[in-house]
Amino acid sequence: MLDLSRVQKELVDCNRDKSSGVSIDLVGDQLSHLAGTISGPIGTPYEGGVFRIDIRLPDGYPFEPPKMQFVTKVWHPNISSQNGAICLDILKDQWSPALTLKTALLSLQALLSAPEPDDPQDAVVAQQYLRDYPTFLGTARYWTEAFARRVSIGTEEKVQKLVEMGFPEALVRTTLENAGGDENMALEKLCSG
Amino acid sequence: MVRNLGWHPVASWTWDAQDETCGICRMAFDGCCPDCKFPGDDCPLIWGACNHAFHLHCILKWVNSQTPQPHCPMCRREWQFKG
Repeated sequence: MLDLSRVQKELVDCNRDKSSGVSIDLVGDQLSHLAGTISGPIGTPYEGGVFRIDIRLPDGYPFEPPKMQFVTKVWHPNISSQNGAICLDILKDQWSPALTLKTALLSLQALLSAPEPDDPQDAVVAQQYLRDYPTFLGTARYWTEAFARRVSIGTEEKVQKLVEMGFPEALVRTTLENAGGDENMALEKLCSG
Repeated sequence: MVRNLGWHPVASWTWDAQDETCGICRMAFDGCCPDCKFPGDDCPLIWGACNHAFHLHCILKWVNSQTPQPHCPMCRREWQFKG
């Protein structure tokens, strides 16, 4: 049986920490199907992207690892460019019940920062990474632009709301941008000067 | 002259572990694992040779699911019950 109380705790804990760059949402009304979000690490070709990850919890969780797969297309040696399957040891035989969904998502973020082309999931990407690194960087950057850009719908409404609170529009725009479009985080920053 | 008509002893207890929550189920050590209703002797803690503590029921589930050699969920050392 899936340990529901643990999953609920994990959701609350993960989403309370706004600064981690990872979050988890419910997909439907089942705790066994979740959607993770990670922001692309700064200084990598994934910077500026937001990546969605499909999370399925087997009945044996946390004694079995969660099943994770990229929904957002991503160009990376250890992630299938076709179906988003991930090659990461902690999601397989190196799983431990002391790990959590949050630590697993943080590990995926670390994987984006540090590809392991010698243990590839996608042979084509790995070959390119090893033989023609500049082209790899270009493709990865292009895929981030094309598939992982933050959804900008609603930005204008957020700007308007914050401007109505009395903040200058230019400042609101840059703060919102820095907060990754997160209205509450932007408001906090604006208030703290 | 004062006479005692009766007395009600009150005591508190706590597990003497370094952490406060079980690293497997994330419930308080002073509470119980998800399968139990009553904390205390019904849902005891157990220590590994590496000094990491878990609810007995939680670590047993993990150890029994790992073949051939179970590892401590916290430090990945080979799991052995503390003698």
